[in-house]
Amino acid sequence: MSDQAVTMGMPAAGEASDRRWVSHAVQHAAVFIAVIALWEASVQFGWVSKLLLPSPVAVVIAWYKLAISSALIWPHFFVTMFEALAGFLIGVVLGGGAAIACALSPPFRRLASPYMVALQVTPRIAIAPIIVAWLGFGMQPKIAIAMIICFFPIFINTLTGLLQTDADAHEMFRSMRASKRQIFRELMLPGAMPVIMAGCKTGISLALIGAIVGEFVSASVGMGVLIQRFSFQLLLPEAFACLLMLTVMGLILFFAMEVLDSRLVFWRHDKRLAEKSRRKAARYTRRA
Amino acid sequence: MSSVAIEQSGPKAVPRDVVVRADGVEKTFDGGVVALEGASFDVHKGEFVSVLGPSGCGKSTLLRLVAGLIERTGGSLTAYGTEVTAPRADIAMMFQRPTLLPWKTALDNVLLPTLIERRPTKEDRERAIGLLRLTGLTDFEFAYPQHLSGGMQQRVALARLLNAGADLLLLDEPFGALDEFTRERLNLELLRIQREIHATIMFVTHNIAEAVFLSDKVLVMTPRPGRLAAEIDVPFARPRAIELTATPEFNALVLKIRDILGSRS
Ligand SMILES: Nc1ncnc2c1ncn2[C@@H]1O[C@H](COP(=O)(O)OP(=O)(O)O)[C@@H](O)[C@H]1O
Ligand SMILES: [Mg+2]
Repeated sequence: MSDQAVTMGMPAAGEASDRRWVSHAVQHAAVFIAVIALWEASVQFGWVSKLLLPSPVAVVIAWYKLAISSALIWPHFFVTMFEALAGFLIGVVLGGGAAIACALSPPFRRLASPYMVALQVTPRIAIAPIIVAWLGFGMQPKIAIAMIICFFPIFINTLTGLLQTDADAHEMFRSMRASKRQIFRELMLPGAMPVIMAGCKTGISLALIGAIVGEFVSASVGMGVLIQRFSFQLLLPEAFACLLMLTVMGLILFFAMEVLDSRLVFWRHDKRLAEKSRRKAARYTRRA
Repeated sequence: MSSVAIEQSGPKAVPRDVVVRADGVEKTFDGGVVALEGASFDVHKGEFVSVLGPSGCGKSTLLRLVAGLIERTGGSLTAYGTEVTAPRADIAMMFQRPTLLPWKTALDNVLLPTLIERRPTKEDRERAIGLLRLTGLTDFEFAYPQHLSGGMQQRVALARLLNAGADLLLLDEPFGALDEFTRERLNLELLRIQREIHATIMFVTHNIAEAVFLSDKVLVMTPRPGRLAAEIDVPFARPRAIELTATPEFNALVLKIRDILGSRS
């Protein structure tokens, strides 16, 4: 039966792809070492001033002091991460909620759209001092700024995803006499999920930017405070070590979103899908 | 005494059950496009009726009207004796695209009409698996749509259509996007399934031979504005084999319809 040809999405021959993976890893390591070596050499040989660009070794030493021996960095690290995450989650609730309202109600969409455009074209960072004036010096203003900055991509992606619901599928649901609620839950929302998740990935890195900006404006704890303080004191190795930790934080948040994505949008991940089919089939035969 | 005898004698005296009765059904879209102009026809219980015509002649519009998905702008349209005003449980529709949900397995896709009514039970699942078997998909219950070929996806959509439990099935070019071989086989299977479940079918196509081969009656439509040009009865006995398409009678009928379409478009 020609139409019964299945492609179970199996990965290509294991060994060959393993070997390719190892060779890629070696290439990456080589490039990394070369860049670090060039950086170290340019500082050691005085091509650039030590004051402006600390050597990798100096950064590692500073990092060790901050993260291990004094452990001074961690409260700041977690405060910033908390602010970014809280801002992001509120952004998801508000941005997602506003998008759902806009998607389901054309009048609401029409009335809300000028404000959404205004929100998009205004450089939202500029609102940071105002927010601080409103909310004071605690974590709340940073969370609010993170939320405002990440709101838009989450809102616009959710709205786009919901509005691009397949018209035929929608009609099929209607022919089955599905309620609006069922159409939303069973068709629109899951269908929009890939686009929503893409918005969330952009959103979470923007939330981190928002938290740091808020800390720049005014704060006593947070990675932004730390970097600012070290930079003013010209302790550049320490400032770089903080920057490095922010990269790590960004990666943690990014991978958290990737994991969430592979669970929420599992049908876009071929390997997970094949695995899920097998699991469901196994569970069924066990029960029977 | 004699009147009773007359009523019981001869097949004509017992009226066949009318499933769909369209009387001057019209559809003008908001923009002023007349998609369908005064269509009148009957569909009887257990009949296989094709709606045939070139693209844009209003076939999908006609089917969506019967499905209650869009409102007519004129005429009367009843199914099982009551006016069609909205989608209903005794009518189910299938589209050219499979419109499967990629996050549901074949089985869960088939169960969708059940899910919309209530939480599916074990019996519902067994019945859905039975329907997948009926449409030739044994062992693919737990596959996801993207792991199925186009033909298999339409088989899932067909099983889902049957799971709606409707007596009147509306199929809008259901196999039109598939290759010739797959389409022919699925057409034959559709006939077999119809024999098994005694469904009434309205089937949209733009392929004359396909319409003649499948149908008891062909509604021939012409475009601009979309209208019903002729209603052709197809007398060939059932079950039909593909060899029928090589007979002179079959080809004469195809030519006759081609003439109708050619002279009026
Ligand atoms: N929602 C709509 N709004 C306006 N015009 C439409 C709409 N749907 C279909 N039409 C028009 O109605 C005519 C018939 O369309 P359709 O029933 O889809 O034809 P077919 O299925 O035979 O190809 C076409 O001219 C098409 O452009
Ligand atoms: Mg059509």
